[in-house]
Amino acid sequence: MGEGKEIAMSLFSDTQVLFVRAVKKLIRTPILLFFSLFQPIIFLVLFTQLFSKFGVLLASEGGFAGVSYLSFATAGIVLQNGFSSALQSGTSVVDDLTSGFLEKELVTPVNRAAILLGRLLTDAFRVVVQSAIILGLAFLLGAQFATGIPGVLVIFLIVAFFGLAWSGISLTIGLKTKSAETVFALGGILTFPLLFMSSALVPTALMPKWMQAVSNLNPITYAVNAVRALTLTGFVWTKILEALGIIGLIALITMGATLYLFRKVVS
Amino acid sequence: MSDVLSVQDLVVVYSDGTKAVNGIDFAVNEGEVFGFLGPNGAGKSTTIKVLTTLLRRTSGKVSVLGMDLDKNQKEIRTQIGVEAQETVVDGDLTGRENMILQGNLHQMKGKELDDRVDELLRLVELSDVANKRAAFYSGGMKKRLDLASSLVHRPKLLFLDEPTTGLDPQSRATIWKHLSKLNKEEGISIFLTTQYLEEADKLCGRLSIIDHGQIVTSGTPSELKADIGADAIALSVEGFEGANGKSEKAKQVLEGIPGIANIMSSDDGLTVYAKNASTLVPEIVRAFDASGLKLSSISLSRPSLDDVFMKHTGHRIRAEELVKPPSRMMGRWGRGRR
Ligand SMILES: Nc1ncnc2c1ncn2[C@@H]1O[C@H](COP(=O)(O)OP(=O)(O)OP(=O)(O)O)[C@@H](O)[C@H]1O
Ligand SMILES: [Mg+2]
Repeated sequence: MGEGKEIAMSLFSDTQVLFVRAVKKLIRTPILLFFSLFQPIIFLVLFTQLFSKFGVLLASEGGFAGVSYLSFATAGIVLQNGFSSALQSGTSVVDDLTSGFLEKELVTPVNRAAILLGRLLTDAFRVVVQSAIILGLAFLLGAQFATGIPGVLVIFLIVAFFGLAWSGISLTIGLKTKSAETVFALGGILTFPLLFMSSALVPTALMPKWMQAVSNLNPITYAVNAVRALTLTGFVWTKILEALGIIGLIALITMGATLYLFRKVVS
Repeated sequence: MSDVLSVQDLVVVYSDGTKAVNGIDFAVNEGEVFGFLGPNGAGKSTTIKVLTTLLRRTSGKVSVLGMDLDKNQKEIRTQIGVEAQETVVDGDLTGRENMILQGNLHQMKGKELDDRVDELLRLVELSDVANKRAAFYSGGMKKRLDLASSLVHRPKLLFLDEPTTGLDPQSRATIWKHLSKLNKEEGISIFLTTQYLEEADKLCGRLSIIDHGQIVTSGTPSELKADIGADAIALSVEGFEGANGKSEKAKQVLEGIPGIANIMSSDDGLTVYAKNASTLVPEIVRAFDASGLKLSSISLSRPSLDDVFMKHTGHRIRAEELVKPPSRMMGRWGRGRR
């Protein structure tokens, strides 16, 4: 009697315990946060300056009249940060795997699902914190926020989900190869091509035809468009739901693969 | 039902075909310290991983604390403590946080947990550094923290995979002290593996010698030593390198001496076993002088577990890269090794 309830309880409390551990680790190695924030901040401060005159082109060709390049690019930079930090997620799993920490967890009665869930929650938390820092900085630099605080909360939601979906890729690679270097390399290789071939930094309309085609297949584009609508236009629910739908689809695939590999490691 | 551990015909074959454990049987009684003594690759860690629910066995019957390994995994995990071969502490957390985390994973919390953690930190003498990050601990401190964190939930049975390997002699002695105390005062049964003869000798009530996935002999340390029934004389001969002409000749010289029965050769020399060994030493020296072979050292000792190991496996246990016991080579006339 009550076994299901007991399992649910342990899932909840064990997830909490492991989440707290991971967050403590994150806070105590601030250098990691600094490194992953470094790139987006450079983009925000320098890249947008480099392209500041681009605003004219944005107005005439891209359909964003009266929008500064900073305001335009903020959405792209937030998501760039989202997926580049999510792509590192697998390294912490590899760490626990190679240090023996995972085995130390597995000889306790800890709820198995909590190990994965704790990890994912931490990733989501990290992405949201980093996004908050980036958005705050963008705001100070004068970027536009059409939907105010409620919009920012929706942005956090999108970015957190987006981060989770991409974490799945990183976790899958991590669990499969058990090599932190591979996970890092993957992040390095994927980041820029995916970023450039999306609407993150340049409106799709201004791209060469072939790139437009790729960009329209790139899930980042949809997430960026939703966030951009929130910063520049307002609550455009069609774009928001479209983004969440596509992210959900990716999450389903990557989480499925992660779960499958994780169960193999755990059993 | 006094067996805390019972293993029958355990076989473990890894997916690449390596037969790491090849049909072993043993049982550990409640309150006992039982050891597996064996060299690198003998199958010690593999056995521990199976017994602690981490690795699936290929075949065999295992019960842990009277419970079936397949049916009661979760219950077993709540009652065993495990310290893996590689020290595992989270360097980003403090010593205390490491232990609290371990308690949390065992569903402990609040004052009960805090008190238990304090008690254990005192036991392993880490109270002073409890709030320091574990990354800054020395190797011996990490090992002690790892040991303490495997005890938070008051396990009935403790599994220790080479608990002192790589430590300096002093840290090793400290760990031995803690383990004896835990066994005597908390009544915890302990299953440990080791490559150190001295460790097996000092800590274990009974032990099995394991080599190539098989148990070659079992018993109390004194039974095993008595079983040899003779003292050991270790010789090294100048120019002796394994099985070359010199070693053959040296063997012949020894065989010519009455009273010498058992001659074993290893990389660093020859060992012979004899009942009244001390009276034989002068004879051996004379015989070698007459043969033209030059003895570079000779030493006499009561049989040690090393000799037991040698007798049953035909080779000496080697714990390379570890701090070695004093070498037996350096002409230590008539001085016994322990
Ligand atoms: N995951 C694995 N896959 C394949 N073979 C393995 C695996 N783990 C261990 N082995 C092999 O199984 C054998 C026993 O290994 P095990 O780790 O149990 O030895 P051990 O007695 O603990 O040695 P050591 O003292 O070096 O720790 C070795 O030959 C080893 O190479
Ligand atoms: Mg081992």
